[in-house]
Amino acid sequence: MTAGTTLKGGGWGRLARRPEAGSFLGLIVVYVFFAALGGQNFLGAPGWSSWLNMAAEIGTIALPVGLLMIAGQLDISVGSVLPASSLTVALISGHFGLPLYLGIAGALAVGLAVGFVNGFLVTRTTIPSLIITIGTMFGVMGLTLGFTIMIAGSTGVFLVPDPLTKSIFGSAIGGMFQVGIFWWLAFVAVTYGMLHASPWGNWVFALGGDKESARNAGIPTRALTIQLYMLSGFAAAFVGVTQVITFGSAQVAAGSSFIFNSIMCIVIGGVTLTGGSGSVIGIVFGTITFAIVNQGIFFSGLDPNFGSIIIGALLLTAVLSNDSFRAMALRYAAKKK
Amino acid sequence: MKLGKMLATTAVLLIGATTAYADGAKIFVIGGKADDPFWSIVKKGAEDAGKVVEAQGGTVTWLAPQNYDNLGVDAAELIRQAIDQGATAIVGPDWVPDAMDPAFKAVVDAKIPLVIYNAGGIEAADRLGAMNYVGAVDYKAGVAGGDYLGKAGGKSGVCINSLPGAANIEAYCKGFGEGITAAGGKADTLPLPATAEGNVTAVAQAIKAYLLQHTDVDAVFTTANLDAVGAVQGIAQAGLTGKVKVCGVNFDQAILSQIDAGTQACAIDQQGYQQGFYAVSILNGYVNYGLTIPTREILTGPGIVDAVNIKSTLVGAKSGTR
Repeated sequence: MTAGTTLKGGGWGRLARRPEAGSFLGLIVVYVFFAALGGQNFLGAPGWSSWLNMAAEIGTIALPVGLLMIAGQLDISVGSVLPASSLTVALISGHFGLPLYLGIAGALAVGLAVGFVNGFLVTRTTIPSLIITIGTMFGVMGLTLGFTIMIAGSTGVFLVPDPLTKSIFGSAIGGMFQVGIFWWLAFVAVTYGMLHASPWGNWVFALGGDKESARNAGIPTRALTIQLYMLSGFAAAFVGVTQVITFGSAQVAAGSSFIFNSIMCIVIGGVTLTGGSGSVIGIVFGTITFAIVNQGIFFSGLDPNFGSIIIGALLLTAVLSNDSFRAMALRYAAKKK
Repeated sequence: MKLGKMLATTAVLLIGATTAYADGAKIFVIGGKADDPFWSIVKKGAEDAGKVVEAQGGTVTWLAPQNYDNLGVDAAELIRQAIDQGATAIVGPDWVPDAMDPAFKAVVDAKIPLVIYNAGGIEAADRLGAMNYVGAVDYKAGVAGGDYLGKAGGKSGVCINSLPGAANIEAYCKGFGEGITAAGGKADTLPLPATAEGNVTAVAQAIKAYLLQHTDVDAVFTTANLDAVGAVQGIAQAGLTGKVKVCGVNFDQAILSQIDAGTQACAIDQQGYQQGFYAVSILNGYVNYGLTIPTREILTGPGIVDAVNIKSTLVGAKSGTR
């Protein structure tokens, strides 16, 4: 699976060599740092809900995009699937007044369809997935804007969800913990099972390690790639659905920040950009780290004008420390042997 | 003012029912696309004023670019088209002074009465020799928000800047600070990092965190529709609904329903309908009867939407005037 698993070492050594070990350390450092600055509010429920709400959304998208990156591909189009999905719900159920389940089904179908197109193009052409998904991103953006203006005559569409659907997708427990957190945990459990406890997961690693060998070994690489893209399209559409139900309003100009945010979460979580290595737990840690830094800035009293610098510095530090930590753990294991 | 599509051609829409030559004014109005939610309201105002123009034997013609990709050049071309088509009066926004000022000067040189509206301010009208400016001023919209929240009891305000560096948002926030200070409060600005762009959840969580850390803050001012929706959610999650009041620039249906529900105190409006209506009316009276409006700089904003006038605003939103 990963380079470390065949090496011997003590229990701690084995833990330290897990791909998520570096990102877990990063998470602890960041939490302690902001806890020291942020005080009671950050340590208490308001602080936890604040970064968990953010982590849940970005994390739901980061999971399948992380699988794609483990398989050696990128997906930029998630940034446009999210508003496309929100507006699909708002147009079907808000503008036309059809039942909300139809709007949700339509939105998820949009996500799956964009994912299918991405996967199809990636497997049938030699164009890098970065370029293909940038292309589909602009395509989806244009379609979203065009159809929204054509149908609703406005760039924002409004929706009043029924109470049941609102409680399933858009309510907040205790007034502050959005239900999206539980949906995220469900996505984590499913993705964990798929990647780490099924042959399918081994295929994903094999695909990212060496595509040719994977195909020669009989892995259906084309179908696998298309499935992975459909998963990320579905996840982005799902977050779009929860956003429009939570806030009751969908805007054309939303979602773009999710592109780099998701990649940052994944990379902080220890997934290598070259593919072939990474773990679901690592992505979860990376996502939490990212969310804590984003929210921590507002709790800490640091000048928010410099917020983006802190986020950028975190990304570089995380990747550097992940790499050096991994190298250190491997050296330690080699010495013991 | 958002993106558009490909072609850089221009659309000409004749609003006036009477197209035949008559003695009345031939007023040409340069404006935004008719499918733009804001400009459709301005156009409605121009059309309604056009009913009087038509009754007096004139016409009102709406000229709009087909997209906003090359706005300054396309709009300058529309101004020249209006001159060529024999306009006896012209209304136009000074969106891109560098590209459009030469065309506006040609209007004045041809002795055609000109009114600048929506963009450019009274400075543009003075510079170009136009009769008047009809429109709003971003800075004053901020002042109105600060004044409103300050008079409603706000002691400490925060302006949410989700696009640090954008000149109009800086102007809103500056105005807000001065408005609330004049009413006896104080204000700060909360700039959001780029990772929050277009993500209403991130905006909501940032505002929630800020309010929990700054417990004295009791007034939030937003400059974008999405931010106002996020602010109301963030305040609710911080358990501060009713304690922290929200005002925002502009509105859409979601924001009107927040005002109706009482979760948002007010929205500041530049009242596009008034811009189209008064610019056309002023020129019609001048061309036909030599009437003038000596007041220079006709401000159509800031208008305030709050609990007092929310019902009539909702009626206006339905009829396309708000």
